[in-house]
Amino acid sequence: MDIFSLDKKKYLVTGASSGIGATICNAIVESKGKVIAFARRKELLKNMQQELGEDNFTFNVVDLLENDELNIALNDIPKIDGVIHAAGIVKPYPVKFIREKNISEIFKLNFEAPVIITSYLLKQKKVNQGGSIVFISSISSHFPYVGGAMYVSSKAALEAYSKSVALEAAPKKIRSNCIAPGLVKTEIFERTLKASSDEHMKAYEEKYPLGYGEPEDVAYSAIFLLSAASRWITGTCINMDGGLTLSSK
Amino acid sequence: MDTIDIFIRKLREELDDIEDQEFNPETSFRDIEDWSSMHVLILIAFIDTEYDIEVNAEEFSNLSTINDVYELINSKQ
Repeated sequence: MDIFSLDKKKYLVTGASSGIGATICNAIVESKGKVIAFARRKELLKNMQQELGEDNFTFNVVDLLENDELNIALNDIPKIDGVIHAAGIVKPYPVKFIREKNISEIFKLNFEAPVIITSYLLKQKKVNQGGSIVFISSISSHFPYVGGAMYVSSKAALEAYSKSVALEAAPKKIRSNCIAPGLVKTEIFERTLKASSDEHMKAYEEKYPLGYGEPEDVAYSAIFLLSAASRWITGTCINMDGGLTLSSK
Repeated sequence: MDTIDIFIRKLREELDDIEDQEFNPETSFRDIEDWSSMHVLILIAFIDTEYDIEVNAEEFSNLSTINDVYELINSKQ
């Protein structure tokens, strides 16, 4: 169905060189859209450009924590049809050890950067009418885990911000939504796997009736939210967790 | 760097929810009854805040005794 197509549309993707961000870039191009990628790792971005084609995939090597770099990169981009905020950091900290530096370490990338980018793009009128903004949140913003206080708080803040964007951008028919996935098999997941025992990870997977997620599962929902097929959906959050939070156990 | 006795005393204070367990350099923390992933996080955060040293979960998975942790901190200072 054409309504799911992203033909002739351009999207900014942050955190584009790996994990969920990279998979979303592939899915956008598969859906005939074009990607402007922001990420730090030039080599990975170059490889993606070779695979996806220069016409479909352009990139800016940018560290979202460096305001000057970010401003230059944002000034540089043309008008777009939406943004996927996929850049993020996960770092566990038990509540009683949280200090100011731990708050800013997580919040700068997970909350401040997407806020600055979104607000700037809207002020500069760089998002076309009918555009769509998608924030990658986490199911843990509703169902926290031990050690995740800063991470889950940053995602909860992001979800609240997304709703405010939805309200204020609606007159321009620009929509804003979140996707809140459970555990997805990305590089971060593989590293966690190495650091913990197989037994532990297998036992944990049993809590997911449909098993752990794949990055593609998140990407397909992102494509839906970017496309005109979701044109009446704004200010909401798609929880996708393979059934993790169905049970009270 | 603290002596190992002081290190163990500070660690004991942080892990005060673990009861009836003697802590000495040879104590293998995975053998401690009630040891959980929360205690791993506390240990890693304690090393960071007390000694300004970052240990990741992967490095931690190679350690087994309290002395191993102490030696790792020493080697990173």
